[in-house]
Amino acid sequence: MDPVDLERLNTLLEHDVGVSEKIKEQVKEFDKKVRIIVGILGKIHSTPSNSMPELLDSVQPVLLSCQEITTNISDVIPPDQFWRWKDMWSNSIRTAVFASALMEYLRNGSLLSLPRASEILGIQEEWKDRFSLPVEDYLHGLISMVNELSRYAVNAVTLGNFEEPMRISNFVKDIFSGFTMLNLKNDSLRRRFDSLKYDLKKIEEVVYDVSLRKLVLPTPPPQ
Amino acid sequence: MTREAVLDVFEQFREDIDQGNDRRERLIKASRDVTNISKKAIFLLHRIVLEDSADDRALALRAAASGRAKLAEANALFALMRPELVGDRYWRYHRQVTGGLQEYIEALSFAHYVEHDALISYQQVQDALGDADGPFFPLNPSDYLLGLSDLTGELMRFAISNIARRGGRPKASQVCAFVRGCKSDFERFTPHVRELSKKQYVTANSLEKIELAAYAIFVRSSEYDLPQEMLDDLVSQVTARFSLDNNRDPLSAHAHHDGGGGYGERER
Repeated sequence: MDPVDLERLNTLLEHDVGVSEKIKEQVKEFDKKVRIIVGILGKIHSTPSNSMPELLDSVQPVLLSCQEITTNISDVIPPDQFWRWKDMWSNSIRTAVFASALMEYLRNGSLLSLPRASEILGIQEEWKDRFSLPVEDYLHGLISMVNELSRYAVNAVTLGNFEEPMRISNFVKDIFSGFTMLNLKNDSLRRRFDSLKYDLKKIEEVVYDVSLRKLVLPTPPPQ
Repeated sequence: MTREAVLDVFEQFREDIDQGNDRRERLIKASRDVTNISKKAIFLLHRIVLEDSADDRALALRAAASGRAKLAEANALFALMRPELVGDRYWRYHRQVTGGLQEYIEALSFAHYVEHDALISYQQVQDALGDADGPFFPLNPSDYLLGLSDLTGELMRFAISNIARRGGRPKASQVCAFVRGCKSDFERFTPHVRELSKKQYVTANSLEKIELAAYAIFVRSSEYDLPQEMLDDLVSQVTARFSLDNNRDPLSAHAHHDGGGGYGERER
């Protein structure tokens, strides 16, 4: 091979290695942050609804600090190369979406939109070819949220909140019917969507239990 | 968000996902067609190069020209793929097109070698992947290297058939040296390019086959102290017998002759 060509290829490949290493560093930080967030959010299952805002407020600063990470990553990525590197952080970003969506539900009982999720993560429109939030990653985040809510429905009842399972049930059913509109390929999103019905079933059972008991026994069961 | 609003949003997602999936399918098909055309170009080159001819240079030029003409069909496909690979789409669908692209580079570099006895440069491949409107898409160094790595397999077949050909033995040893050079040049890139180390292993195998064949001819020719032309006849008689044993493509008979069986052995 021509020495000039050899050198040129080497430079190009070394440059890619540099990009990948810089992203790796950021992803490591990103991962730390989302772990902290998920750790705190684990407490929702034992937090009565009147203390919920406080708990969520304590997560907020960590969540917003992820904006730093997305900014740093977008700075490192060469133009048009978003899809080349995105797999490196897709787990972290899906978890961040999950956390944001869960918090939005717990605060306002509503579904976090994709544009709003991008906004929380500080993703700018002008980064589009270097950093964005793809539909697939957003949907993965929503599925994780449904998984979590099916657990929350059970634990809310234990904490004496009997309305929560109904709200969750309605909310999750809407999301589920949204998912049924999609033509998914046989990938991980499809498999995870297929498992949503078990969450739905679990929530339905809680709703059933609660409404049945309420009819029979109007006072809440002893804690 | 009301249920209707949720469904509206998901309808948008569906369009988005469908569009991506459809584009992926189109590119997979196009890439497969490129692979097919490139394979045919490679076979064509092998066939022409082995024809009997008084003027080897003219034969080589004709082979290279025919190979390129075949590859022009692939270029037409790449031109159609251009809008599907524009901007950030290139990396989004890179996995779908890399197979065909590597096969194309393999064929192109083979034609180039037959004509120039040299390795096609990165820039020359990028130049081939374009038309009057500019490049179809940016060429990635990994694809370039992986395509070239496949070239060594073709050159192994080329060298082995040359050994059996009248006056082809100097050519065979030239190819042998060239493949050796490729292998050593590629070595430094293996840490950066996934898959290349696997292909380096295949290259090492090809190289060994050429070396063994060259060795066998050398040892036998020293046994008989024959002039080159008579040796040519002897070798072609032996290889002709192999061709009779095997009714398939004469090339595969040569591959068979070296004991390894070249076709169908490779990764892709």
